[in-house]
Amino acid sequence: MAKVYKDLREFLATLEEEGQLVRIKEEVNPEPDIGAAGRACANMAEKPAVLFEKVKGYKYSVVTNVHGSWQNHALMMGMPKNTPVKEQFFELNRRWDKFPVPPKIVSRENASCKENTVTENINIFEILPLYRINDQDGGFFISKASVITGDPEFPDDLNKQNVGTYRIQVKDIDRIGIQALPFHDIAIQLRKAEEVNEPLPIAIALGNNPLVTFMASTPVAYDQNEYEFVGALQDGVPTEIVKADTAEHLYVPAHAEVILEGYIMPRVRTCEGPFGEFPGSYSGARNQCEIKITRITHRNNPIFENLYLGMPWTEIDYLMALNTSVPLYKQLKSSFPEIQAVNAMYTHGIGTIVSTKVRYGGFGKGVAFRLLSTPHGMPYCKIIIIVDEFVDPFNLEQVMWALTTRVKPTEHVTIIHNCAGMPLDPSSIPAGMHDKLIIDATTPVPPEPNPRSVELLKPSPATPKWEEIIKKLMDAAAKK
Amino acid sequence: MKCKRCDLDTVRVMTKSPVGNEWEVYVCDTCHYSWRSTEEVHVNDVFKLKPDSIPGLQQIPPIPPLKTK
Ligand SMILES: [Zn+2]
Repeated sequence: MAKVYKDLREFLATLEEEGQLVRIKEEVNPEPDIGAAGRACANMAEKPAVLFEKVKGYKYSVVTNVHGSWQNHALMMGMPKNTPVKEQFFELNRRWDKFPVPPKIVSRENASCKENTVTENINIFEILPLYRINDQDGGFFISKASVITGDPEFPDDLNKQNVGTYRIQVKDIDRIGIQALPFHDIAIQLRKAEEVNEPLPIAIALGNNPLVTFMASTPVAYDQNEYEFVGALQDGVPTEIVKADTAEHLYVPAHAEVILEGYIMPRVRTCEGPFGEFPGSYSGARNQCEIKITRITHRNNPIFENLYLGMPWTEIDYLMALNTSVPLYKQLKSSFPEIQAVNAMYTHGIGTIVSTKVRYGGFGKGVAFRLLSTPHGMPYCKIIIIVDEFVDPFNLEQVMWALTTRVKPTEHVTIIHNCAGMPLDPSSIPAGMHDKLIIDATTPVPPEPNPRSVELLKPSPATPKWEEIIKKLMDAAAKK
Repeated sequence: MKCKRCDLDTVRVMTKSPVGNEWEVYVCDTCHYSWRSTEEVHVNDVFKLKPDSIPGLQQIPPIPPLKTK
């Protein structure tokens, strides 16, 4: 049974034991120190989480880069910290199939997130050490929230309750802006509320068990419950949730550091942004939704968990890497068992590599079409590379080998004009429209001709033995 | 005080530091830009806003038509 964390604090303790968390005990300035440290982590080889114990003018601490390395990602899954990415991918896939694992609903008394309640004179600065992440951001952003909303048409259907990650801009001490892009789940619910001019109740959980945050940023089907996925990814151990205080039908992670509750004000849009986004550039000012906060509950000495975004790779790229890859793999695999693995780690799947067996001529290109017809792939996937089954899509050296030795540009490169695109991709013009590039780097099979078929070089059977001998000698040399 | 982004004087104090007298946060009620008194604020020209351009910014998501009962 994999190690499971009840809350953020248990995970931080493990990160610290494993040398993947550093504490800054000296007081820091909110700007530019916290954002700069997030960037610095991303630049390093080891990439630890950073906990700031004292932030000037604030009461509580901040932690950043919690998900920001493959080591931290492996530890999140309860695996040894040096587990290779491909192994993490297949372990996630294995656990994914345990869905659904219903969450455990705990009483208010047993939910740490309810240790303190604020209902009057709400000021989020009293609880959260808010700061500007990148210098041209239009304000202070909450970049790592798990946002919980229900479907106004089916309030009792927990499967239609959505837990998602949306960027949030602080507009006032009790008002925050939220970005709900039209293809996001929350936009479906908001539309129903706004059509009848009703507020949409909302709860925002900050500082969660790392797999809750991970699932909140995973693209799953609209009627799939994220909490049931958390239990699956915890290898069958249910996650604990508790009823929100202000909405009967919303459930929040029971041991979150902070819960903000309130509602999206119907038919209101105010200026939001710019915000430094995951493609490594700012997305500009737009008129977006606003939330009124009516209640805060929080743990004693809450820790504010937030993430840095910048030129990839930064924490967000690690957070959205495998949780974008796995659902796409599952959807493709259910149509075509030939699919071996999917690497959708580049800018949230805008660049995606699929490894597949090839059953007949044109199969690779067909797999790309299937990818483009998945709910996430349709707007996001833009540059699609299909490689043979023996190419590891997580090994870019192998992928480059496939491109350089398998691709005949006039035959294997296809551009499809005027499709859906990801609006935050600055090359999407108009924002939301794009062309698709498919590179079929698989070896041609009949009926496609392959007049220069080749024999591949095969490693000697003695190779693993020699890998071991050389590794032992290297380890011994390193100890000297 | 003028807004660092849209230049209007619709700026107010949003809050003061919860601990000590370390800083204040200002917010513009026109363009919602906010900053802390301890920051060296420089809004790049490309991100400056003209107040009358704000209503015309893209609306995300678009407000749907009201359903009549
Ligand atoms: Zn302004």
